[in-house]
Amino acid sequence: MAYRVLITDDSPAMRTFVRRVIELSGFDLAACFEAGDGAEALDVLREEWVDAILTDINMPNVDGEELLRRLAEDEMLRSIPAIVISTDATESRIARLLALGARGYVTKPFRPETLRAELERTLGVPVE
Amino acid sequence: MFFLEALADAEPPAPGSADGLTVQLRFDGDPPGLFRLGLARAAANAIAADFLGEDAETLTAKQSQDVARELANMICGAVLSRIESRGSFRLSPPEIVTGLELPWGAAAQANAYSVETGNGTLTAAISMETQACQATEKSAF
Repeated sequence: MAYRVLITDDSPAMRTFVRRVIELSGFDLAACFEAGDGAEALDVLREEWVDAILTDINMPNVDGEELLRRLAEDEMLRSIPAIVISTDATESRIARLLALGARGYVTKPFRPETLRAELERTLGVPVE
Repeated sequence: MFFLEALADAEPPAPGSADGLTVQLRFDGDPPGLFRLGLARAAANAIAADFLGEDAETLTAKQSQDVARELANMICGAVLSRIESRGSFRLSPPEIVTGLELPWGAAAQANAYSVETGNGTLTAAISMETQACQATEKSAF
């Protein structure tokens, strides 16, 4: 099964990199959408169904924490698993984001296989 | 993630060195402070090319700057997490800075670390506004 993923990050370089890593990791990617902040991500989600959301935390306008809150409040969107990708590895931040509804957390810098494993774990992809 | 090899320790570049890229960001938390990353231009281009999967010859200046900002964000976040994994920090957006007279100035000098990448020097410096974590800053690099 191939999956549709939304990457949300205010850094165009980071979005390109994450997309490239997903492709290189061998993850079965059907489509990849990009958003520059949480507001853009919500716009994409009104138009496109995705299987997973990868999001940064520190972004302008609607940041990652607010995006998680809005996803949790939306009956249509709350079932989409969101994985946070962040440089912040502090225990308090990770705990807060998981409490807000993040299903996974990947700390930058990360290895391609780490991101793939977290995507597959979150999506419940059977281990081969 | 960044396919970068630190070949050897190096001397920080001279203050005001023009052939490079300097990124600066502030962090709020306990303690607050300032982080700077300096890259030789060739090192910045090589790192950006690896990061984006592009040819270094065709990279734009904006692409190199975007990747340098992301690298600064990543190194600063990793260093702060090592210094205080139970604390909470908020990083400002990384900015490209120019015209610094003292890029690795007095406050940060003792906590600057430079490495040779094979394409030029990479220097990271952190300066905290309290003395509480000074002893651990260097080892966190």
